[in-house]
Order: sequence, then structure tokens, then C-alpha cells
Amino acid sequence: MSYKISVDTGGTFTDVIVSDESGNENIGKALTTPNRIFDGMRNALKSAAFDRDISLEELLSAGKLLIYGTTRATNAIITESVAKTAFITTKGFPDTLVVKEGGKYNPHDFSSDFPTPYIARHNTFELEERIDSLGNQVIPFNYNQALDLCKEINRRGFKAVAVCFLWSIANSDHEKEMARILSDNLPDLPYTLSHELIPVVREYRRASATAIDASLKPLMQSHLYDLEKDLRCSGYSGDILVSTIAGGCSDIKSLIDKPIYTVNSGPAMAPIAGLEFSKLEGCGEDIIVCDTGGTTFDVGLVRDGNLAFTRDTWLGQPYIGHLLGISSVDVRSVGAGGGSIAWVDEGGLMRIGPNSAGAQPGPACYGQGGTDATVSDAAAILGYLNPDFFLGGQMTLDVKAAEKSIELIANKINLSSHLTAWKILTLSSDLMMKAISDITINEGFDPREGSIVAGGGAAGINIMNIAKELGCHRVIIPKLASALSASGMQFADIVAEETLSLVTTSESFDFEGVNNVLCKLQNKLEAFKASMTLYSDVPYEIDYIAEARYIGQVWELDTPLPNKRFLQQSDLKSFVDKFHHVHQRVFEVRDEGSPVEIMSWKARLSIKLDIVKSYNSDVTKAELPSFSQKRNCWFGGLEPISTPIYKGSDIPVGSVIKGPAVIEEPTTTIVVYPNMVTKISISGNYIIDILEK
Amino acid sequence: MMIEKISNSIEESKIDPFMTAILANRMDGIIREMTNTLLRAARSAVISSARDFSCAICTADNQLLASAEGLPIHIFGSHLQTKTMCELHDGDINEGDCFLHNDPYSGNTHAADHTFLVPVFFEGEHFFTAVAKAHQADIGNAAPTTYMAAAKDQYEEGALIFPAVRIQRNYKMIDDVVRMCRSRVRVPSQWYGDFLAGIGSARIGERRLKELCKKYGKETIKQFIDHWLDYSEERMCHAIQKLPKSELFNSGAHDPFGELLPDGIPLKVTLKIDPEKALIDLDLLDHPPNVDCGFNQSEACASASVIAGVFNSIDPTVPRNSGSFRRIILHLKDGAVVGKPKFPHSCSIATTNIADRLINITQAAFAQLGDGWGLAEGGVGLGAGFAVVSGNDHRVDGKPYVNQLHIASNGGPAGPTSDGWITYAIPVVGGLMYRDSVEIDELKHPMQFHYLRLVTGSGGAGKYRGAPGQEVAYGPIKEDMNAIWPCDGTHFAPQGVRGGNHGKKCSHFIVRSDGQEEELPNMVVVRISKGEFIRGNQSGGGGYGDPFERDPNRVLKDVIESYETIERANKIYGVYFHGSLADNTLTVDKEATKEFRKK
Repeated sequence: MSYKISVDTGGTFTDVIVSDESGNENIGKALTTPNRIFDGMRNALKSAAFDRDISLEELLSAGKLLIYGTTRATNAIITESVAKTAFITTKGFPDTLVVKEGGKYNPHDFSSDFPTPYIARHNTFELEERIDSLGNQVIPFNYNQALDLCKEINRRGFKAVAVCFLWSIANSDHEKEMARILSDNLPDLPYTLSHELIPVVREYRRASATAIDASLKPLMQSHLYDLEKDLRCSGYSGDILVSTIAGGCSDIKSLIDKPIYTVNSGPAMAPIAGLEFSKLEGCGEDIIVCDTGGTTFDVGLVRDGNLAFTRDTWLGQPYIGHLLGISSVDVRSVGAGGGSIAWVDEGGLMRIGPNSAGAQPGPACYGQGGTDATVSDAAAILGYLNPDFFLGGQMTLDVKAAEKSIELIANKINLSSHLTAWKILTLSSDLMMKAISDITINEGFDPREGSIVAGGGAAGINIMNIAKELGCHRVIIPKLASALSASGMQFADIVAEETLSLVTTSESFDFEGVNNVLCKLQNKLEAFKASMTLYSDVPYEIDYIAEARYIGQVWELDTPLPNKRFLQQSDLKSFVDKFHHVHQRVFEVRDEGSPVEIMSWKARLSIKLDIVKSYNSDVTKAELPSFSQKRNCWFGGLEPISTPIYKGSDIPVGSVIKGPAVIEEPTTTIVVYPNMVTKISISGNYIIDILEK
Repeated sequence: MMIEKISNSIEESKIDPFMTAILANRMDGIIREMTNTLLRAARSAVISSARDFSCAICTADNQLLASAEGLPIHIFGSHLQTKTMCELHDGDINEGDCFLHNDPYSGNTHAADHTFLVPVFFEGEHFFTAVAKAHQADIGNAAPTTYMAAAKDQYEEGALIFPAVRIQRNYKMIDDVVRMCRSRVRVPSQWYGDFLAGIGSARIGERRLKELCKKYGKETIKQFIDHWLDYSEERMCHAIQKLPKSELFNSGAHDPFGELLPDGIPLKVTLKIDPEKALIDLDLLDHPPNVDCGFNQSEACASASVIAGVFNSIDPTVPRNSGSFRRIILHLKDGAVVGKPKFPHSCSIATTNIADRLINITQAAFAQLGDGWGLAEGGVGLGAGFAVVSGNDHRVDGKPYVNQLHIASNGGPAGPTSDGWITYAIPVVGGLMYRDSVEIDELKHPMQFHYLRLVTGSGGAGKYRGAPGQEVAYGPIKEDMNAIWPCDGTHFAPQGVRGGNHGKKCSHFIVRSDGQEEELPNMVVVRISKGEFIRGNQSGGGGYGDPFERDPNRVLKDVIESYETIERANKIYGVYFHGSLADNTLTVDKEATKEFRKK
């Protein structure tokens, strides 16, 4: 027996999923140990091994591939504990990281200070040099100043350097020159060059990504090497890959070179899991993937079997956080979850959030002293949560405290507690629905034509109502819903991406230049492929994408190239048609008369690590399982409905359960609302049909 | 019987806390979708890069209902425009119509803000009007700029004016209008792309609003409209009730303008705050008659700017719509420079210059209420950082280009709890707009920047500091380039409040190829040749409170980060240091600071 192991180290829990050759998967969970990640990982691995009746040593020694997902980089950025980093930029333009791209949420709110830049102004150095938009050298690179700068960087004890010059994407000579001087004078100091990491126009995007990447280099290098050492010492001899925000995984060496790709990599795995679960269950390749935690609700998208990507991922809030800039899996996060606090404002309107009860004290029903009414308290009062079986019995819910908290709201709006709780839950679903709309409708994706895959501990409480509001007919809640990111890693490919900038238009298309760029991209990726010696026989694909727009627009749309090269006029024509199609889909309009302008070219290599498992889809209809008990649940009416409560483990595959019903799994609860039906697929996932009334 | 009726009516006046919240959430989502469409599909940098546009939803009876994320100056007047549409086309407003409105005498801000009005019908009844308003790169004015500061009247301004002119019927374009614009607006393909994006945005709003009506039914939607406006009014009442009863007066002025306005334009606002009646009375009657240049306020701008000043000074989460506006009483004079303009006086620069000053003096008036109230004045002036540049681009066979830059910002005002916002731009946009990228501006125009940076020591000192202004230098790379801007703040600096200092003033120079510099006036029309360049700085925001009360650690951070110099820290803030800046060992000398601040 050999195993594939995926490990997702989240802020609170470390999730492990172990799969064997026959496709059997099981889960292990333990508390994350931030000081030494491996301790928590070992505990989670132990629990997964225990379920399989093998020892940790047996599991590790039979492990063939381990995929590691980490929040180390994200946490270092949030807690401002990244390396002391120098930012070197073109003389005259020191404030790129300060002023960002502008923008603000509320024009009337003057209550907060302007955010501090990712690298402070006093750690920013201006170098005399200048390239123009056509790649001409306007001001020569000041060699002597660069040497002095190295001395200063050394004297002030910087641990990393980020280099971003204007128009380095049109001519990278000056950035390369700086790199050479840094390597010669400060050979041990890691640095990142903007034209190498992220060759796109717009200096802030490039500078921000470059700064973030450089600042992570020292710590991610030691983190990943330490982890590797720990694994080897414990008897693991298989391959180690690390998950990335590009929606795949890569080897440790590549990620030490570009550690920015490990930022937010956990949430980026969820859409991959969503796609595989949906394909497995025959629910199509247009999927909305939701992951609900205690404080955040993450939404991702899969269209025609492809993940959605964006260059607009912010760490922290848009405008005032830090832009990642690199092309990353588009996952939007909103502050809505079980802990969001419900309140009535002074105008008499019901509100949910943005304040959250967090983990401490948590919702009132946790019995840890919280008194504010939260969404979880509403669910508890409505009878959806089993007070004695919360988190698989690890916690007993204080329903009295929940009632008390909801009553405070109920009194203000003159409704019964149960009706109030129902409305709190519905309003919170509505806010989540808007988060889904933002990523679907705004990108031209009609949620009525897709399925939802929902994971996370709180997914089962209201996802069905959210689906119904969106007009989406099908929801899948995977058996391993509480570890969606670790599930995604099980299916992830090895992914590498390269971008080159070459601005050209469909009017005067630079056939030769573009083909050169595409060749260069291919060569880079094939060199990377060749370095992955363990996977030399594994099939791979390279997809090419143009970042294009109508001439005069400023925001590009990712447009896949129909052909890998532009050999003749017809290749250009089919590309332009493809662009019109993409533009129409996203913006509802096309401008056939306008030339198309391409800003940069992307290539994406995927090495398939796994052939999709196939299950026998002939499900023999099982007898309706017996339920363990009935409980009074409220579904918006004045009176409760006596509702059957099922234990997940008691339900045979193939069963069909009509709502109302509640299904209790160890780490999640699934509420099947009246008029809805859930079926347990042969792979043990819950498939819910939302019926039209 | 009688008693029952009364209790019923009380019941009816209460809002449904749940359904109102749900539908408000939906309205917000619809406007965001409209906004996203316009931003990403538009062609000109002023819309797609700088976000100089706003979307709103008005009711069929012309009340402003929702305006998520809209620019303050744009939003407050949308309902005046839909009113004009309803009056001019009474009996002939149908599904599938779209109207173009940019007439400053009948509700628009200024002629450059093309506004697309799409009446939204459900079951044959006009329910809403979806509004998308976007500042155009060019509107066919006499000169290549949308800010005709010197225009004597509307004829000299030269804009094509559309007083709610139908541009679509039955969802089909009326090509006559398109041809008119194409024959007059500079760079017609850019204009047409923006035109399509504007219509697209309003149409998206229409589709979503119809879906909403279908889902919830007419009655629920009608009830929501009432409840949402009542709720907003209620929130406004609460906000006003927290203010002390008072009568405030403040004055200021716009910079002088050549020989025409040698003393500038004096501005005055009187505010009566009545917490018992929950009303704010804004008196703008004391203003001179319309001037013979483009500075006149349109009705939309005069109201929007003082209302924005009020909203800047109260709970910022109060919804901005006709419901909350019910608690504001506004007095405007006909034919005054601040008031309702008299045709044909030009309102070409109504959205910025005087409007910016009106916001400033209104929010600064609130600071008279005491510590914790109001704001300092924000940096003003559309200087070199906001120039409209034009010329011919040698890189693409001499094709013409025209566009407004948004590259260097004025500093935001300090408030009672925080320093100024650095990417504030100007008061009328309150920091909402995006800024250009240097690389994108160089890509789109044949120009090159020499520097772009914050100016040390330019923010008004105070317990809380105004944000610093930025300085910028640029010129053409080959062919001549025209730059036009209508600056303010080169003469009258943005003021501090409650003992805070004023911010640095704007200034601009043209640097000739031999290195000679000539200072430029505030209103600039300049032709720049190869080898020459423009340099200038935008203004800093005013400070709030006595600089001697500023937390010495904030001053230390300001010095380390070069927002302030050590000299200014010593002299103006009374903060002294140990160690050295160069060695990274600077710390506050608490004793010396305490000693000096005693004086």
C-alpha cells in the first residue's frame, strides 16, 4: 500500500487527508502548532493513521507524495513579521508603495489614518536610472550609486531586497545590472526582481508583488527546509510538494525562489476540490465553491472546468491592504460566518456584522460568556444544532444563553425569538449570496447554470437557502466538507506559470515577436518540467493565455489562445473572435469595430498528478434510513416542525432524504429545508436538489 | 374604532427591519454591478483608470434611492436629472428608452458629466430610473479640455448640450445623436467606447431591477422604497440629534482669477443645527451674482458640495439619499455664483473649484462645535497632477489624443482622530477615485514623467496632521503637448482648524529647455515642446488641533518617514529628539519636548 498525503495547516486546525491507491480517503485533524508546524502535522497524521489501523511510522514510510499547504507566509504578512526588506526603485518615484492605486470605501469617513506602505519610506532607496515605455534607456544606470547602496543595505542590516524599476518590463537591463551588483557584493542576501516575478505593466502591482516576495524569502526558505528535514527524520522518503495560489503545487526549490505563491494558497485549493467533487457526482464543470468558517466566507469559481484567476487579490481590504499582483486563483472572502453579530441599528434596521464574536468569547451558545446574538445562536435556537453533539460531541451548546441573546433582538423588533432567529439566518444568507453574486454575475457567470460545492464547518446550515436565492438547483456537500482545502490538494496538478510582456494590437500584429514570446514561455516551462525528474513520464499540458483588451481600455481580460502559435492571419482572427466572445460574456457588449490590444502573454504548465477517480454511478436505491430522533426545528413558520435527525454514519449510500431533516456529521451539520431533497452518493457526498416551488 | 386606526397608522409608519435590510442589500449589489461594468468596459483613463463616474438608482417620482460608492459631487443631483427627463418627456417615457443628460441648468453637475438615464418598467409601470454618470475625456468644447475656466458663457464654452435627449428607443440606438457626437467630440472612438459602457451600465441596472420587481412583487418593492427612505431619514435624525444646538458661520474664498476676479470669489455658509427638530439649515444666499467665466455652480453642485460637507461631519454610515436629505433645508439664490445659475453663464468647472471650497468651509464650520467635531480643510486644486493633456501621438501615425491625468494628489484634511488621507485627490471625490499608473499614462500618451513624490512638510501641522501634497514633473517625448488645468489653492491655502496649520499651497512652473523656469498662474493653458517640462506640486491638507498636542511618537514617525523634517518637528511641533536619523537611532527626547512645549 502507498499513500498520498495532503496537509493543510490553517490558523486553528491542521487538516490531513490520506488517500490510498484504491481511492479510499480519510481525514485527520489536530490543532495547529505555530511554533513548530511539524508537531501539529504529526498529530493530525497520527490521527489519520490511527483510523487506518496503522502506525504513524507505517503511514510515513509508505507515503509516496506529500502535498503541504501553509499559512506561514500569509500569517507573517498579517503579523508584520516578514524580513526587513529594502525597496530599490527608480529615482524620482519613491512613493509607489505608499500611494498604491488610490481608492477608498466611504468618501465621508475620515476616522482612520492612511495605511502604511508594505515597505516603509525610510527603507526605500531611489536609484538613478530610467527606461522609457519603448524600452529605451533615458538615464543610464548609476553604477557608483548602486555600489554605495549595497554598502548602505549591508550597514543597515537588511535581510532581503526588492528591485522594481519603471519599465523594467520593456527593458530589464537595469534590474539585471542591480542584481549582478547585489550578488557580487552581498552574495547571501536574497532579492527579487520585478521583471522576473511579474512582468506586467503598472508599477504599483509589480512593486507590491516584488516587495512581498522578497520579504518572504528568508523565512520561507528556513520554514520549508526545516519542514523537509522534519519529515525526512520521521521516516518519510516520498516526494514533497507545496500548494500555491496559482491553483496547483510546486516543489520546495521553486517556492523558495518565489515564495509569494504560497500566500493564500489554502483557499486557492478549495475550487480544485469543488471541481473534482462536481465532476465525480456528474454535476458539471460550472461550479461555485464556498468555504464557510467561523469568521469568513470564501467564494471561488470554476467555469467550463477552468479555475478563475485574477491579478486583483488583496491581502487585507481592497485599496488599503497590499495587492498580490500575481495571477492567482480568484477567491473572494467576506467577513460573514457563524460568529457574525446581529444587531438593530438606530434607524430600526436589522444588521449582521461586520463585528464578529470571533473565537473568544465566541457565540453566546458556546457558553464562554458571549452575550451578543450571532448567526450560530440563531441556528441553535431554530433547532438545527444538536446541543450535545456539537463539533462531534467536543462541545456542549448553551441554548439558554443563545435564547437570551436572541431575545434582546426580538424585543427590539417585536417578533418572537424563533421568527427573529429565522430572519437573522436569512439575512446572513443574503449577505453571503451577495458575495457570490460579486464573483459570478459580475464576471458574466449565471449562477442558475452552475452547481454549488460547499465546504467548511458551517456550510450545511444555510447553503441551501443561498442556492435557492441564486436560482442554483444543485448543491454538493462533500463528506470531507470540513477539509475542503486539503481535499483540493489531493487533486492538484503541479502548476507553473510564466508571463512575458509584449504590447501589440490586432491592427498591426507582431506575429514574429509574439511567437518568440510564446516560444520563450514554452522553453521556460519545459525547463521547469525537466527539473521535475520524478515526473518525467507524467503527461503535461501547456496553455497559453493573452491578457487583452479593446484598444483604449485599461483593464485586461484573460483570453485563452485558440492556437498555440500565430502562424497565419486565421490564427489572429480566431483569437480576436475569442476576445469578442470573452468581452461579451463579461460585459454584455462587444465592439467588433475596435482593434484588440494585448498587454502580456501567460503560459501555464500543468503536470497531471492524478487521473480522476471514477466511481460506479449505478446507485442502488437504499431503504430510507431510520432516524435517531426527532427535534423541533423552525423554518420560518410560527410553529416548529418535528424534524427527523439523522446521524451521517447511519445513512447508507444511495439514500434519499426529504426535507425537513437535519443530518449530523462529526464536523458539520446539514440542514435539509422543507421542499428540498438530499441524496447520499456512492462516494458518500451529499447531493441536494433545490426544488422549484 | 378611532384608537385602532391610530395604532394602525403607527404600525404602518414603522419599517420592516428585515425586508428593508434584504432589499437594501440587493440595491447595493445592483449598483456595484453597474459600477463594475462601467469601470471595466470604458475606454478613457478618466473613467476606467481614475473612476470619475457614479451610478445611482432613482425612484419613478424622482427621489434618489441608492448611490453606493458614488462620488459625493455626482450623486446628490441625480434625482434632479430624472425629474427633467420626466417633465420633458411626460407621456412618452417607455420601456427601452435611454436618455442622455448633461445640461447644468436642469439638474446636471457640469456639461462634461454625461449622464445615462434608463427608465425601468415593471408590468407597464415606471418604477425606477437607473442612472450612470461619467466624466468624459472630451465633450467637443471650444478647447481640448472639459474644464473651460475662462469661458465667458456657455456659447464660448462650446459643449454639446443634451437636456435629457433620447438616445435609445425600444432598446435601439438613435444614430442621429451618435453621429452628432462623433462629428464634434475629439477622439470619437474613445468617446463612443465610453458611451457604450455608460449605456451598458444603466441597462444592467435596468435588468437587475426588473428581476428584483419580479421576484418580490410590486407591493413589496413599493413598500421598500418608502421604508428605505424613512429609515434613512430616521438615521439622519439620530445623527443630527447628537449635535449641539448651534448656529455656525464660516467663510472662505476661491483663488483670484486674472483680471476678471482679482480678489477671488468670496464664499459664505451659515448653518443652523436644530437637534430638537432634527434639522440642519444651510444658508448659501449671501453670494455675488454669476460670473463671466466657468466657475458658476450648477444647482446640483451647489447642493451636493454643502451636503457632502455635512455628511463628512456626521456618522459616515448614514445612507445618502432623498430620505436623509429631508432633514436638510437648503437656501439657494437664483443667478448667484453659488446658487441656481442663470443661462448662459458657464458652469464648466462647477464640479471642482468652488464646490471643493464649499465642502471645506462647511466641514470646517462643524469644527467650531468643539474638539471632536468637523474636519480641517482638504487640499484643493486641479493642478498639473490633474491636467487635461492633448496632442498628436507620433507613435501611432500622429493620431490625436486627449485625456485628463489623475496622477498627483492633494493631501486630505486632518480630522479629530486621524491624519489626512494621502490619495485624497480633491474634496469633491473624498479619496474615492483611483489614481493613474505612471506606466499606463506613459503608454497611453507620448509623455514622460521625471518624478512623482510626496512633498515633505507640506501637510498642515496639527494634533492630527493634514496629508502631504504630491509633486510631479512631466513633458512630451517628441511632438508638442497641450496641457490645460483650472487650479485653485495657489493663492488661498487649505486652512487648518482648532489651532491646526494650513497645508502647503499649489504651485506650478514650466521649465524651458535651457533650464529657465517660469511660474505659471493658477489657470493654465500651456503648450510644452520637447525638452521642456512642467513641474508643480499639489496642496497639502489642513491640520486639526494644536501641533503642540500631537503625540510625540507620531511626530517621530513622521520624521523617520520624511513626512516632516527635524526642523519642523522642533519648531512647529515642539518635539525634540535623541540619536540620529541617519543611524536609525532617533527617539523622542521627552524632557526637552516637555520643556519646549510648556512655553
